[in-house]
Amino acid sequence: MHKLALATHFIRRELKERYRGSFTGFGWALLQPLLQLAIYAFVFVQIFKARVPGAGAPGYVPFLVVAMWPWIAFSEAIFRSTTAIQDNAALIGKVALPRELLVLAPCAASFLLHGAGFLAILAVLSISGHGIEMVKIPLALLLYVPMFACAFGISLTLAGLQVFVRDLVQIIGQLLTLMMFAAPIFYDRTNLPERFQVLLDLNPFTFYVEGMRNLLLGYGEFPWHGLLIAILVAGLTLAFGLWLFRRLDPHFEDFL
Amino acid sequence: MNQVLVKATGVGKAYPKAYLSSDRLRALARLLAGRRDADAQYVVRDIDLCVRRGESIAVIGQNGAGKSTLLKLITGVLTPTSGKVEVSGSVGALLELGAGFHPEYSGRDNVEMAAALHGLSHDELAARMQQIIEFADIGAYIDEPVKHYSSGMVVRLGFAIIASLKPDLLITDEVLAVGDESFQKKCIRWMEEYLKEGGTLLLVTHSMYHAQKLCRHALWLDHGALMQSGDVFEVSQAYLAWHERKQAAIEQRAPDRSGIEFEITDLVVNDSPGNQAVVVDFGGKLVMSSRIRSREGRLPIAMFGIVRADGTPVYGVSTEMDEVGVQRVSDHDFRVEIEFAGLSLLPGSYQVRIHTMDTEGLRLFDTLERGLTVRGESREFGLVRLPHRWNQSSGGHGG
Repeated sequence: MHKLALATHFIRRELKERYRGSFTGFGWALLQPLLQLAIYAFVFVQIFKARVPGAGAPGYVPFLVVAMWPWIAFSEAIFRSTTAIQDNAALIGKVALPRELLVLAPCAASFLLHGAGFLAILAVLSISGHGIEMVKIPLALLLYVPMFACAFGISLTLAGLQVFVRDLVQIIGQLLTLMMFAAPIFYDRTNLPERFQVLLDLNPFTFYVEGMRNLLLGYGEFPWHGLLIAILVAGLTLAFGLWLFRRLDPHFEDFL
Repeated sequence: MNQVLVKATGVGKAYPKAYLSSDRLRALARLLAGRRDADAQYVVRDIDLCVRRGESIAVIGQNGAGKSTLLKLITGVLTPTSGKVEVSGSVGALLELGAGFHPEYSGRDNVEMAAALHGLSHDELAARMQQIIEFADIGAYIDEPVKHYSSGMVVRLGFAIIASLKPDLLITDEVLAVGDESFQKKCIRWMEEYLKEGGTLLLVTHSMYHAQKLCRHALWLDHGALMQSGDVFEVSQAYLAWHERKQAAIEQRAPDRSGIEFEITDLVVNDSPGNQAVVVDFGGKLVMSSRIRSREGRLPIAMFGIVRADGTPVYGVSTEMDEVGVQRVSDHDFRVEIEFAGLSLLPGSYQVRIHTMDTEGLRLFDTLERGLTVRGESREFGLVRLPHRWNQSSGGHGG
């Protein structure tokens, strides 16, 4: 109970900090995705003339949006959590506290903010007649559960390692960009030559992209075989992250 | 027996080498494999400690002795490399400066965070916020970021939070050294009140005055190991005497003192020579004798004095004031002895001093000092017992 209250406090603090000093405050959290959407719509539809393959396919903008926003939450959560322990060095040396919470806060804050942004954008798309299947939104949100577990597991691992290997955060930025392009976010599986298509399944994020597109846009098949694997991967990642973090936790102070 | 709040057995803490990035990588590999660091530097070694509810313990020792590390091990900020620490009950800790505040957040935000860390709900905090702000007494700064605070203000706020939480065990590290006079007094008053109500205190301090005022027991650490523990007066006296010996060793290497015109060669207190502290019973006899070497063979004036451990003068008297002479032993050697029978100094720790002055009593030449502990039990206040009598009119109540 105490831990839960503490977690809530840290998440609230994190959210407050991101928008501290900005005039629009939390409004920015909703405004920013909309601006980003306008840019993507212009670049991909007007300049690149992007089209989604297949008959009766959705427009490119909703196609991109339903994959892009979960990715933003996922990647930002990992990127921000990587330095979580290092950033709180002053606190760690002076106050005894469950340190997982310091990683949980940026992770959960990213998912909360971009989850809310996602809902806002879905509402906008739906109103402007882009054929979003509103009834399936709760199902789509369920996919966020293993996605968050996976992101938190990776975050714990990286935050623990970052204390010892300071250049990790630079590498992570690059790796996340690579992972984004290695998932069918900007394109569809069928855009790839057949021999590369299987490689997509090695990327844990592919499942979420295809799951979201099926649920929200009715596009493609729902990757049932991927669901089990995704849950398994999320569970294992989280378990490994917790194991590694707890192993290193007693020694953080020595290396900060 | 009171409840044990802290039980530490064989506790040690070693810091690994972490300068080079290759060291860090090697340490990481070792930790993941679950092996111990071989070439680590121990800063605290093999400490056994048991703190019961209601105790007050001062942790003393020179810089780098491992005092702060020990406290951090007890609060759980550090994990011991060897041994184990068990803590029951709530702990409130003010470790070094900063007190775990985030410099970018306002004082109020930091109070909220500290409250959350101590398991206080929103409503409980709201009820205490005003009290905390009043105790800290930093005015409008409460809504400024902590990075704009002076070090004194940080400590004020940190102490105010702890004071409001009233933990089972209070741990403070050199906190009193930073606050100004009035805040120090406020803190000491609060801690005395807290102890009276059954609170438990672990205090790191360099001020023997604070140690003796607030604590009944003391723990003396040196180079990470326990030197002595026990009654605060005995331990702090031993610690001060050790410092004096160290100082004396340095002075001996310094230019030779024997060239002074009136040199004090020794100070014997109650038949004990050397420079260690002496223990006298309250109401007992104190005899101080000293040998003085006069370079020119001129007659010196000797002055004896007693000061309290914090430097407050208690009494001083010279041969010239009492119109007695020092005894000539040989051409250049003199001897002087003074006796205080029925010593009226109240129990506590003091310093005795002897000074030499020239024949005219104009210049001070040499000073020698030793620790003095007056042992005994007395609930009287102050420094000395003044002769007194309670006047009771006879027959006032028909008796």
